Amino acid sequence: MVEFSWVSRSPLEHALVTGTDGARGIEAGISLTEIRNFDLIQVMARRGQAAELGQAAKARFGVAVPDAPKAVRTSDATLIWSGPDQFFVLSKGGKHTMQTLEPALSGSLSDQSHARVLVSISGAKARTMLAKLSSIDLHPDAFPVGAAAATSMDHTSVTLWRGGDRTDGQAVFNVLMFATFAESLWHTMLDSGAEYGVDINHTERLA
Amino acid sequence: MAGAQTHRLGNGGLVDRSAPLNFRFDGKAFSGFQGDTLASALIANGVKLVGRSFKYHRPRGILTAGSEEPNALVELRTGARREPNTKATTAELYDGLEAASQNRWPSLRHDVMSVNQLFAPIFVAGFYYKTFMWPAKFWEAIYEPAIRRAAGLGRAAGIADPDHYDKAWAHCDVLIAGSGPAGLAAALAAGRAGARVILCEEDFVLGGRLLSDGGMIDGEPAAEWISRTLAELAGMPDVRVMTRTTLFGVYDGGTYGAIERVNDHLPSPPEHQVRQRLWRIVAKRCVVAAGAIERPIVFAGNDTPGVMMASAMRTYVARYAATPAKRIALFTNNEDGWRTVETALGAGLQIAAVIDARPEISPAHRSLASKGGFPVLHGSVSGVDGGKDGVRKIAVSLTGGARAEVEADGLAVSGGWNPAVGLTSYHRGRPKWRSDISAFVPDGAPPGMVAAGAANGDFGLGACLSQGFAAGAAAAHDAGRTGNAGSAPVADDEVFSLTPLWHVAGKGKAFVDYQHDVTASDIELAQREGFESVEHLKRYTTLGMATDQGKTSNVAGLAIMAAVSGRSIPETGTTIYRPPYVPVAIGAFAGHHRDGTFHATRLTPSHHWAVEQGAVFVDTGLWKRAQWYPRAGEKDWLESVTREVKAVRSGVGFCDVSTLGKIDVHGPDAGAFLDRVYINTFSNLAVGKARYGLMLREDGIVYDDGTTSRLAEDHYFLTTTTAKAGLVMQHLEFCRQVLFPELDVQLTSVSDQWAQFSIAGPSARELLKQIVDESEDLSNEGFPFMGAREVTLRGGLKARLFRISFSGEMAFEISVPARFGDAMARNLMLAGAPFGVTPYGTEALGVMRVEKGHIAGPELSGTTTAADLGLGKMMSTKKDYIGRVMAGREALVAPDRQVVVGIKPTDETRRLRSGAHIIPKGQTPGPGNDQGYVTSVCFSPTLNQWIGLALVERGRERIGEIVHAHDPLRGEDYDVELCNPVFYDPDGGRQRG
Repeated sequence: MVEFSWVSRSPLEHALVTGTDGARGIEAGISLTEIRNFDLIQVMARRGQAAELGQAAKARFGVAVPDAPKAVRTSDATLIWSGPDQFFVLSKGGKHTMQTLEPALSGSLSDQSHARVLVSISGAKARTMLAKLSSIDLHPDAFPVGAAAATSMDHTSVTLWRGGDRTDGQAVFNVLMFATFAESLWHTMLDSGAEYGVDINHTERLA
Repeated sequence: MAGAQTHRLGNGGLVDRSAPLNFRFDGKAFSGFQGDTLASALIANGVKLVGRSFKYHRPRGILTAGSEEPNALVELRTGARREPNTKATTAELYDGLEAASQNRWPSLRHDVMSVNQLFAPIFVAGFYYKTFMWPAKFWEAIYEPAIRRAAGLGRAAGIADPDHYDKAWAHCDVLIAGSGPAGLAAALAAGRAGARVILCEEDFVLGGRLLSDGGMIDGEPAAEWISRTLAELAGMPDVRVMTRTTLFGVYDGGTYGAIERVNDHLPSPPEHQVRQRLWRIVAKRCVVAAGAIERPIVFAGNDTPGVMMASAMRTYVARYAATPAKRIALFTNNEDGWRTVETALGAGLQIAAVIDARPEISPAHRSLASKGGFPVLHGSVSGVDGGKDGVRKIAVSLTGGARAEVEADGLAVSGGWNPAVGLTSYHRGRPKWRSDISAFVPDGAPPGMVAAGAANGDFGLGACLSQGFAAGAAAAHDAGRTGNAGSAPVADDEVFSLTPLWHVAGKGKAFVDYQHDVTASDIELAQREGFESVEHLKRYTTLGMATDQGKTSNVAGLAIMAAVSGRSIPETGTTIYRPPYVPVAIGAFAGHHRDGTFHATRLTPSHHWAVEQGAVFVDTGLWKRAQWYPRAGEKDWLESVTREVKAVRSGVGFCDVSTLGKIDVHGPDAGAFLDRVYINTFSNLAVGKARYGLMLREDGIVYDDGTTSRLAEDHYFLTTTTAKAGLVMQHLEFCRQVLFPELDVQLTSVSDQWAQFSIAGPSARELLKQIVDESEDLSNEGFPFMGAREVTLRGGLKARLFRISFSGEMAFEISVPARFGDAMARNLMLAGAPFGVTPYGTEALGVMRVEKGHIAGPELSGTTTAADLGLGKMMSTKKDYIGRVMAGREALVAPDRQVVVGIKPTDETRRLRSGAHIIPKGQTPGPGNDQGYVTSVCFSPTLNQWIGLALVERGRERIGEIVHAHDPLRGEDYDVELCNPVFYDPDGGRQRG
């Protein structure tokens, strides 16, 4: 009998090369970090039951579910608005999976953990580079920490939200993209960031 | 070594004499300075002749100093970067620049085609329309190529552009076009009020006309005011000043287009940088401070090199310290033209004469003339003596009828100023006539936009500053920014007294549109021939249709038409203004979307494994799909595909089918919802089972098909075709949200969540047993045909298993979370090795589906009904569903419809091809007896011959009939037999077994 190993492979495993890309000899203006192996559950309220779902979610997460394009952080998860009466639960370490959430939340749950790739973008030129990809106004006043958008980049649907600032005060933008488009969008990101210099990393930790 | 800059002043100007730059024009070496344009550098070197005109090949010089230039168009750079029709007046000089003149042969000075001038009487407006009508077949072969060789401008590079372009978005409260006094004042006011401001300036230096005309602002020289203002703006973090950026269009919802020439001023962009960037700017308010364009007066010989706009002449002298002429005459009909005299005298140049068309001349100018020792002539220029070496003598018709001659080597012309009304008119706005300046000014503007200063027809420096400041403050306020803007900068207003003069009668060609060689007599001819409407005039004469869009010519053309047709200028009206304001390279619109990144690409979870296997890929929509997996020694695709089909039919193979659309349908009403979108019933599907479903469009035509499984009471898993995945999701969301909001159902795309593989062939079950946990029962009883359930794999991973078949073999589809897709492909190879497992691609998949008579894209063509596809019996009569009623229309149930049928060539060795028409045997093919066409074909390794599917009139009633296949595209004619479309295992025993 053959022994099988089930190795999880990120859709960016081939394209993502850790190190520096684009302009060299300057401090890289862009930092791109792929966050791997997360749990992402889409939760949708059943018809007329958004309030009940909201209460159940509040009980589980300790915060109100966002009812507008926003992302809310809890101690062990991020809740991201994804449409009217629906949201994503993003977490790590198996705390909030289909198995644990289905009994707790009365709604329609769908596992999206493998359907998306998560890339976090920061750096002095992050907004400049994102302006090439996104039609969303990312000015600090218009897109503060916790702001989110269901939008598109390079003709590809994405969920974009601003996470907590880095310790050096720089803004962090998270992009949740469809897995099968990820390599293509990744190359567009590298093209767009090349003139500023790009630091490339991947991590298992959620920021 | 480059020649001396013979026409450069010893001091002054905004050029950096410590930074000399070498360049070549038509192969000859010259030098200029940092801060020059190509035009100013040519002028500094005494070059007057820079090009040949479009139609008559007349020698032409530099007319303007801006983006309105019609004459000085060059091919800039060489090789792949060669860019035709580049305006020398805006091209920044850089070291090593190479430019060439256009539309001349063999050289600029000796141009053979200038013989066209001798035939000028026949090259009038409409010449080509009138002359090359007959014989019609000569047009493409002879006339057009000959005309194209003779006319036209620069040559395209003809090879791929090596540079990159990109696109970006920007957002602001107040967008400002132009950095002259009005634009800078607007930026100051808006910035101080706290607004987010973007100011776009076409030039590479900020200041607009102030750079050439100077003046006093707030009691200090303009240059000092500019630096102080720029410093203040630089201190505002939300004010962004963009040079080399032209605002070229305004679109819906306050969106503007701008082109930034990021690196056009360098020989080539630095590594990783783009040449140009296209900006889409979203602005709450916009202040157009784009200034005005000085207009020529139309007179004989007005295109002679050395004839130049008065404002351009003083720009070259004041800003670039370059002298277009040593002895200058001025022809003006307004006060502003006299500024050129002041500038020229200040630079120590001679004034030959001023020809002023106005009845009155101010005492100040009279005393200037007597001090400068030059005559002031009341009258008009009626002719110019000169050729390719430029102006020599100027003929003047004096008021009262006498004639005079002026000797000069340069003629500055000012016919007044036209506000730049492009941006304000791009939403089909029509500017209005203002008689005090004899010019069109904006009459309203797109929402949120306002014009200020010269762009609004108010030319005085004081007015520009106060209007710009007020517009900036108001725009900021409208955008919700209420900070204190302070007070407006103050300056005096100059007098601008103008007596309209458009055209001076005289002997010789008088040009209206320099770039398209349209003369005053062309306009008169157009009027005589009935092309009086401005839109007809434009198209008949091509007035204003060149790359400069008639910036210097349109209004004069309208004025001449008005005069000859006895109407006023406002009665004559303007043509429609359309963006872009300046030509924008297609490369900028494409951005990074070229070559391999022309569009986004989707990759399946096993893509990189398939690459390792040497797969050949095919583009399927955005997807890259493995088409076949060639092996060493196979001579062509057919051999590889045939091997793959045989391997599946005799053993086992697998194929990544993750590209199918996958949708989670949740909710207590999920079954009821599916009953309404599919023609067959799903509410009665048992949990753990899959069913094939067909959905129609509202009009009764088949939309899509696929299998849907019930995974729980309130959870179905729906699949779509690859091609329609996105569209079906949209359709279902429309049904859910709009048509059936009463149903409690939720939809989620899970297309990317699951890696799905088809495992097919007699050994499929044996292979699967190696992969799934021993506890799973895969027997026919434990997991029958159309079963669907979760299984545990060896190693503990959960997967979904479906017993469905597209190939006609015993087959399964297995889904694992997508990041395990790569591992699944590798494990299938490992587990299947003892069974000779063979990965197969979309070609083998297609062969097996044709053998099995399954419909796919070519049959789901948007014209076929369920019955046409042989699936009429699936249409439930017990419920309503989308498309049911319309599917019952007479024509959709007519007995003579074209329906799916199998075809086999009567000559078993013959190859079939899709697209051939089906004609009754023995008849001559024609539209009257066309009975259908071949939709899908393949070489069937199983039957060892070509087979196909076709849509044929009454096809199912005609099984066994020999018909004729007529393929005029490929010149093929042959007979085929109509047969059962299920060529392989018609009883379905293999897939159920």
